[in-house]
Amino acid sequence: MIIRFLQRHREASVALIIVFLFAILGLVDHSYLSLDTMLLVYGNSLILFVLAIGATMVMATHGLDVSVGSIMGLAAVVAGLLMNAGWGIPASIGVALLVGLLCGLFNGVLVSWLKVSAIVATLGTLGLYRGFVHLLSGGSWIEGLPEGFKALTKAGALGLSPVAWLVLVLLIAAHLGLRYTAFGRSMFAVGDNREGARLIGIRVNEVQIVAYGLNGLLAALAGVIFASQIGFIPNTAGTGMEMRAIASSVLGGVSLLGGTGTVLGAALGAYFMTSIDSILVLLRLEAYWNDIIAGAILLVVLITDGKIREAVDRLLRYQKYRKFIDPQAAGQQGELAKAAVRPLKTALETSEARK
Amino acid sequence: MKLHPALKRWESVLALLLIAEILVFGAINPVFLQPSMLLYATSDFIHVGITALALTLVIITGGIDLSLGSVMGLSAITLGILWVGGVDIWMAAVAALAVGTLGGVFNAVAIHLSKVNPLVITLGTGFLFGGAALVLSGLAGATGYEGISNFDPAFVNLANLEVFGLPLPFALFLVLTVGFMALLHRTRFGRYVYLIGQNPRAAAYAGTPVFRTLVVAYALTSLMAALSGLILASYFGSARSDFGSTALMPAITAVVLGGTSIYGGSGTILGTALAALLVGYLQTGLQLVGVSSHVSSALSGGLLVIVVALRSLSEMGRVWFQHRRVLRNVAAE
Repeated sequence: MIIRFLQRHREASVALIIVFLFAILGLVDHSYLSLDTMLLVYGNSLILFVLAIGATMVMATHGLDVSVGSIMGLAAVVAGLLMNAGWGIPASIGVALLVGLLCGLFNGVLVSWLKVSAIVATLGTLGLYRGFVHLLSGGSWIEGLPEGFKALTKAGALGLSPVAWLVLVLLIAAHLGLRYTAFGRSMFAVGDNREGARLIGIRVNEVQIVAYGLNGLLAALAGVIFASQIGFIPNTAGTGMEMRAIASSVLGGVSLLGGTGTVLGAALGAYFMTSIDSILVLLRLEAYWNDIIAGAILLVVLITDGKIREAVDRLLRYQKYRKFIDPQAAGQQGELAKAAVRPLKTALETSEARK
Repeated sequence: MKLHPALKRWESVLALLLIAEILVFGAINPVFLQPSMLLYATSDFIHVGITALALTLVIITGGIDLSLGSVMGLSAITLGILWVGGVDIWMAAVAALAVGTLGGVFNAVAIHLSKVNPLVITLGTGFLFGGAALVLSGLAGATGYEGISNFDPAFVNLANLEVFGLPLPFALFLVLTVGFMALLHRTRFGRYVYLIGQNPRAAAYAGTPVFRTLVVAYALTSLMAALSGLILASYFGSARSDFGSTALMPAITAVVLGGTSIYGGSGTILGTALAALLVGYLQTGLQLVGVSSHVSSALSGGLLVIVVALRSLSEMGRVWFQHRRVLRNVAAE
């Protein structure tokens, strides 16, 4: 039953790991176990949250975007340059988001219309967009951003900054939007069975392009948040974030093969990736333990998940062909139902032995 | 117009592009045409080429290895740690290569055990190996940007050694290219690699040792990544955990630009080798004519997008023409 539940709700396993992490923290020093710590981690995860929403959409369509780090950097640089050139803060952010949207749409066009494989296309644009970053910034850091811009990520109502509230709204909207709207479902349909989706009247190419476009828009938003949080923009802004975003989503149960996953899961994955960071600091461990712990947990979750899925598949296949192997069981639906809850091991052993 | 079959091959196009590229840069700046310049410029990018050769095998099997950048850093740091710990530099180098190979075996076993997409598994192991490198260098007290240095001079000189007038890393690249060509195109193992990429299920039913083949392919990739890490350590005279972080994407670029299908089943070593040189010389050439290294990386990204999009378009055009011809024939009857 537990296995079934975890299979249905991949988010739950990440949530458990997060609870476990905080439990360790509580054992070491329970004064850390407070709402403040959780909000601190939330504040540190904003960028990854936004990227994870985009990654979920793209991965739902059986795509992949490794260029988001470069789009982040490009949007941050565009916003920074415009603000320093005297543009208003909303206008600068608007242009930066537009640039991100265009970058994303370009990725989408390459993937859907030109039929370039997603990883190759976005690998190319990863280099391309990073080059634009250097061209625009002239190789130097952008400093002296207006105070009003930095204030966007300063704590405000209920301990959360304006941007943190925005991200919370975005997360809820994206989660509901992907689960309950026709367009959200069509992304999963395209990822699950492209030809089938086309046959039931979904404009598959357009859905894909929009998914990449929204992903670009969100990556640009992440870049703006990044610039606001640290107050200056280095050329390397966003480098390596694509891998963290993909890892967060995968951890949260979004499949790279398309068709499954939830924003909630991806967000929990992102929260987990960041909480390792923050908790290591609180435990006074050196920060360099971060990646090895994240990698180990990621692998354990993935391999366990793969093994469970394989076992469930074998059990289902066994039930499907059981009547041919064991004629007495044919038609006995009650027996079949029992077999479903019978321990996996016996069922597998029987099927192996019958071979 | 009848073209000789050899000219229709993608490798010929790459070779022509490579020659054209060298001539164009030579016309702008004659320094580029000097043989010593052409040879020694390779030292900046040849580690990418060496890794890409083995990565070709993995991609032909339908897999991918995102952890090779981390393996480069891990092998360099292993070398550094052992050297600081008083181990002989050559023993340390062998140990670093062994660590790299084990990483590859780990990748293959994890992929086989979990039946999860190689992209995801190697993303995870990439964090794991990169994290291990960071922990090792952190425990050794090496700061991020300085790394571990003061290696045995004999080891540091290795990258500048000449073999038959060629710099050692480049000579190594040529030898490995021939070696991998023989392995992929002339052995049973090579045929298995293609078969697994074409149709893994058919390969399994045909009794192909799928698991063993994958282990060898991933182990070779990691071994070459580890070797590249050592070459970089020798070239720079220091070992850092983040050595390979910028090598992963160019390596995949070289393989894909070389004509290997990212979905597996087709590709050649020669194509990868030529593409690695093409991209490498593009970067060097652009820097030589005064374009900053960052802009040149943008141009190689752009090159990848354009070439792959054009190939895809020409494939779509070919299919369209074929369909039209068939339809016309049907209509004529």
